[in-house]
Amino acid sequence: MKGYVLKVVAGLALILSLAYLIGAYSPYAEMRNLPAYTVSTVTRITVTLVLSVLWGVSFGILAATNRVAGYVVTPVIDLLQSIPILGYFPLVIGFLFTWGAFGVEVSVIVLLFTSMAWAVFFGVVAAVRAIPANVIEASRSFGITGWKYTRHIILPAIAPALVAGANLAWSDGWFFMIAAEYIEYKGAIVSPPSGGIGVLLARSAYFYRDMGMAVQLLVYVTVLVVVINSLSWHRLMNRAGAGTFKPLLQIGLSGIGKMGAREASGWFSLEHIQVPKAFSAFWQRLEDYTRRQKMLTAVIAAVIIAVFLIGELHHLPSASTVAQAFAQPPGEEFGGIHWLILMTMGRLTIAYVISLAVAIGLGVLAAEHKLAAAIINPVYDIGQGVPILALFPAIYLGLGSVFGSQRLALEVTCIVMLVLDMIWYMFVNVSSAVKNIPSEIREVGSLFGFKGMKRITHIVIPSILPAIVTGSILSWGTGWNTVIFSEYLPSTGPGVPDVYIPGLGSLLDKAGYVYGNTILLVVIVTIIGAIVLGMEALIWRPLLRRFEKYKVEV
Amino acid sequence: MPVLEVKNISKRFVEEGNEVLALEGVNFTVNDDEFVCLVGPSGCGKSTMLRIISGLETPSGGEVIFEDKPITSPTPKISMVFQLFGLLPWKTAQENVEIPLEVIGVPKAKRVEKAHEYLRQVKLEGSENVYPHDLSGGMKQRVGIARALALNPEILLMDEPFSSLDELTARALRDLVLGIWRKRGENPNSIIMVSHNVEEAVYMADRVLVFSPRPGRIIGEVNVDIPRPRFDHRRDQQYFETVDGVMELLKNGKGRV
Repeated sequence: MKGYVLKVVAGLALILSLAYLIGAYSPYAEMRNLPAYTVSTVTRITVTLVLSVLWGVSFGILAATNRVAGYVVTPVIDLLQSIPILGYFPLVIGFLFTWGAFGVEVSVIVLLFTSMAWAVFFGVVAAVRAIPANVIEASRSFGITGWKYTRHIILPAIAPALVAGANLAWSDGWFFMIAAEYIEYKGAIVSPPSGGIGVLLARSAYFYRDMGMAVQLLVYVTVLVVVINSLSWHRLMNRAGAGTFKPLLQIGLSGIGKMGAREASGWFSLEHIQVPKAFSAFWQRLEDYTRRQKMLTAVIAAVIIAVFLIGELHHLPSASTVAQAFAQPPGEEFGGIHWLILMTMGRLTIAYVISLAVAIGLGVLAAEHKLAAAIINPVYDIGQGVPILALFPAIYLGLGSVFGSQRLALEVTCIVMLVLDMIWYMFVNVSSAVKNIPSEIREVGSLFGFKGMKRITHIVIPSILPAIVTGSILSWGTGWNTVIFSEYLPSTGPGVPDVYIPGLGSLLDKAGYVYGNTILLVVIVTIIGAIVLGMEALIWRPLLRRFEKYKVEV
Repeated sequence: MPVLEVKNISKRFVEEGNEVLALEGVNFTVNDDEFVCLVGPSGCGKSTMLRIISGLETPSGGEVIFEDKPITSPTPKISMVFQLFGLLPWKTAQENVEIPLEVIGVPKAKRVEKAHEYLRQVKLEGSENVYPHDLSGGMKQRVGIARALALNPEILLMDEPFSSLDELTARALRDLVLGIWRKRGENPNSIIMVSHNVEEAVYMADRVLVFSPRPGRIIGEVNVDIPRPRFDHRRDQQYFETVDGVMELLKNGKGRV
């Protein structure tokens, strides 16, 4: 305990002195606020984390234990998770303009929440579903129900998943700090009145274009994250056994709810493209319903249709407003949308293939060789906490001097950014899957003399295939998020033009940030959502189902 | 004539920061054409002993001598059947049997033929192209046995091979293994099996070695002189007396700790 207190004091002293030094030696007066802004950002992320945990635990348990809720809540959250942080912009504007300074603070937390909450929710759902049937039956037989059941069975069972999910959310928070604290709206910049490290980072990178300053702040954030991790998360993870837990591996399976996923992918599956199948599946299930269930279904459907009609008549934008939105900039670019989609998908695919190859290589290496792990794992720990968005201008300026053309420099920068972002999810999934190969399979490998490449192709790769698919889903999800910020580098001062490469991401930026064309923004976000869900249904879920057989039953 | 000698084996490992002594001063030999069974309470280190013989684990002290040399790593001459089958889920039954042959460099045509032959021996013809996921527990263990036999091992190790199967399936597989072993002039020559089922041990083995609770030591040895095939003698007085003898040793072992 004494040692721990000492560690806390030393950690705080290190952070404070760093903050003071950076502020004191900086040419910009606003950097003096670094200590205070640190408190503000840490508080902000912590508050959001608490909200995420509260929300994730309550909704997660509800979605996993209640059949009806499972059908409704999980697909909705799956959908919300696929929407990039900017997609929540329209929601945030409501707070921004009506609640003044307090509204801006709330907006930042809302934005952070939209990137932090999912990890906790999906972790909890997977963990509740993974409670063994015998434990559930045993507790039922002893009459443990209701709150007692939640307290003695569910909460202890999900503790490791919860801690791991919360840790992931925490990292996500640091990752999206800049995007959340530095909101651009119609050319003006909105930042939280209490300030934040993200504000300073964004200002030095985008406004001052002072890479030295930005790098100093990045190092500072890294130290901060590492110190906090070692003081809190490492202890907590060890205590909860979260290190041995692998919530990420299960996220993919818990997606649209068990039944729903299978059926949904059935509708979309390539061999027999039959849209009416959705209805036939529904009618089939309807036949098994009792009369009361049929009545209930009819009532729910009636209510939904009624609400929709009323909304259509009164609240939804009329056809003429939509047409008007398309007539305003950047609506004119909408004609070539298929090219934009193709270009953005191309960038994502290139970045995905690179991350996949590197992550599998490093993940397998880290799990198979102790020495390699000693190097790779700390780099991973530190790297995942670095908000790469702040690197964006730095990489662009660096590459700009290498490549003559602005366009090419940004093109390469964009792919580098995507790789840096996507690789973490692949890596964490691959390396934890390699670590979790069952001991019997490992023993079979050594007993029958599998070595080198044979061991990797026959034993290691097949056993991590399910994890690779889950990692791919998450990588693409986060990739979509990042592509929005990395196709468009906003102007940094008077006379400096915006730089962008054509793509779905830059179009979204223009619609959201530059022109404030909300209707167009919603349309683009819907397109992205459709692509994400379509890929999930057409590619990832069929693959997941196929590799399900590869799981070793123990 | 002994084919395998276990000499003064001890095994220590670290569990949650504490050093645990799993095995201490274990000595025994396995003879040509002999079936030896290790029984003992759970956690007594008998599975660890089997893994040391297989070369999967290295002892902290002592050595296991096979063909005049200490065992340091796995060899195709000593093969193993696992409690949870240890099948690769991404390979069919046929491929699971083929793969150890591929590793030791058997050409494709030959290993296909061998895999067929051994799958037939364990009565799995027709299920060659099925994945483990779609096989029953008994069928999975048949694949596991075929895989181990296909290497034509001198010694076959079995780690509680029937304990995760239902009793009827287990009975059928016990007789299947005994039938294969009894075939004259063919490998496996000797079998070492770990079990916590005394009736099973007495039914199958020539000699039962009884282990004490952790740290595992051999506290007794029972020779089983019941004539084979034992199916015909499973109601004999001698069978029950032998079982009682092993039980008595197990009980005494517990009392001593």
